[in-house]
Amino acid sequence: MAYADLREFLATLDRSGQLLTYSDAVDPEPGMSAAARAVANLTDRGPALVFDNINGYEPGRSRVVLNLVGSWPNHALMLGLDKDTAIKDQFFEFARRWEAFPGPVERRDDAPWQEVTVGGGIDLFRLLPLFRLNTYDVGCYIDKACVISRDPDDPDDFGKQNVGIYRIQVKDKDRLGIQPLAAHDLGLHLRHAEERGENLPIVIAIGNEPVITTVAGMPLAYDQSEYEMAAAIQCAPYPITKAAATGLDVPWGSEVVIEGEIIAGEREIEGPFGEFTGHYSGARRQPVVKVHRVAHRTDPIHEQLYIGKPWTEMDYTVALNTSVVLYRQLKAEFPEVAAVNAMYTQGLLGIISVRQRFGGFAKAVGLRAMTVPHGLAYCKVIIMVDDTVDPFNLPQVMWALSVYYHPFYDTVIVPNVSVLALDPSSEPAGITHKIVLDATTPAPPETRGHYTQLVADPEGTAEWEDIIRRLLG
Amino acid sequence: MTPNTTVCPRCDAENVRVLTTSPVPGRWTMHVCDTCVYSWRSTEPSSVTDPPAYPPEFKIDPAEIPHLPATPAVPRRR
Ligand SMILES: [Zn+2]
Repeated sequence: MAYADLREFLATLDRSGQLLTYSDAVDPEPGMSAAARAVANLTDRGPALVFDNINGYEPGRSRVVLNLVGSWPNHALMLGLDKDTAIKDQFFEFARRWEAFPGPVERRDDAPWQEVTVGGGIDLFRLLPLFRLNTYDVGCYIDKACVISRDPDDPDDFGKQNVGIYRIQVKDKDRLGIQPLAAHDLGLHLRHAEERGENLPIVIAIGNEPVITTVAGMPLAYDQSEYEMAAAIQCAPYPITKAAATGLDVPWGSEVVIEGEIIAGEREIEGPFGEFTGHYSGARRQPVVKVHRVAHRTDPIHEQLYIGKPWTEMDYTVALNTSVVLYRQLKAEFPEVAAVNAMYTQGLLGIISVRQRFGGFAKAVGLRAMTVPHGLAYCKVIIMVDDTVDPFNLPQVMWALSVYYHPFYDTVIVPNVSVLALDPSSEPAGITHKIVLDATTPAPPETRGHYTQLVADPEGTAEWEDIIRRLLG
Repeated sequence: MTPNTTVCPRCDAENVRVLTTSPVPGRWTMHVCDTCVYSWRSTEPSSVTDPPAYPPEFKIDPAEIPHLPATPAVPRRR
């Protein structure tokens, strides 16, 4: 089921009625961002968007792709599943495939991005139709590229080579701003390089099949290879090719491969940028990248991600990889955990379904979610539901909250703990209270409430679901 | 209205230069401010190209820029 490259995935989306090509003329701003915002506003089953007639660029030869995985059908097709696969089933399939980690990589030296090489006179604005994503972003950003780097203290360790997604401001024709936070793998690589007094070589690979960009946004352990995880998730070896100048491993199928260095010791104003919290993050002084070399396909496709107030494509791409990470970590200690839906603002709010072992058990599991690695920056609001409630079905979750949650007995507030600084409610930035809302049925020794006369589904309901689904075709 | 090419809409510095021009000639020009690294395109709405129209909550005083926090901080050399 693996897609060799972005173009192969686009062809599948097209055949499945999940791709919309817009060929009327558009200005770079604000039409393409507005279209991506609009499709996310309208539906969670929307298509990917292709623009191929962008003012200032040759029609048909410069293309922008947005919303590639910005819906549940597109997410299912990424996994090679039927496009109507339920979210909960996509979640369990993602968790099952993880078991095959680490999968194999396949080294190839015939990458299509080797077609054209530019060593001097680089102008990224002419090469790619770059555009401002949100009105008060400081400039044009690249925000769905794979950024690849190695640990300068351990350059031969393949597992420590990182593939991540970082926001990149295009500040000049061949000069970029980048945001490697100290806690991120790229931040650690940069720290080691700067301690050594060296620049950090990096590759920025734009326009990829969707599995590697999904895995690149996954909270993996420091020495876990994203390529080996992508192989597990796509159930096939992941093809990679060495970039000529840096020797870094790059997806074989990329459209554009930018090689350069983060300049040691340099920090320069970057931001604001509209973020996944639905708010702009302000200006900071951040590291700078000097571009040395670009390799690309003929007429490369610029794949970009609209980001802003949820839901956007960002929420679909991180939904299950975040949920599955939490699920696996909780399940290791508490096998009673049935499923985890942590797909609200990257897991700032999560819903966990669990079979209660004894009274108070669900509250303990909810508190544990706050202290797994991802929970340290997220999991501000945790809703606990019974294992009979599907945490991906919000009407069911709201029902559980409305009739099982008792405000006096079922609220646990943890004061003054860590959260990501981008949470605009945190005060000071990075510190917040957190809360568990326990909407499970009380278990002994707790006997409160009146829950013995549950209205069960009439006999044969499940069969009737199949009959009606069939009749609807 | 003639597009602004001399004053940065965001920090009001007169430290502006041409960043690049459209590959198809004559369609647009991009400018960049070398004080605050703000950039804009001549085809964009005046709300992001015209200094008086730029909203105060997104403006920046050039004097503040050297004092912005560095993230991540530069570590000490080994
Ligand atoms: Zn300025």
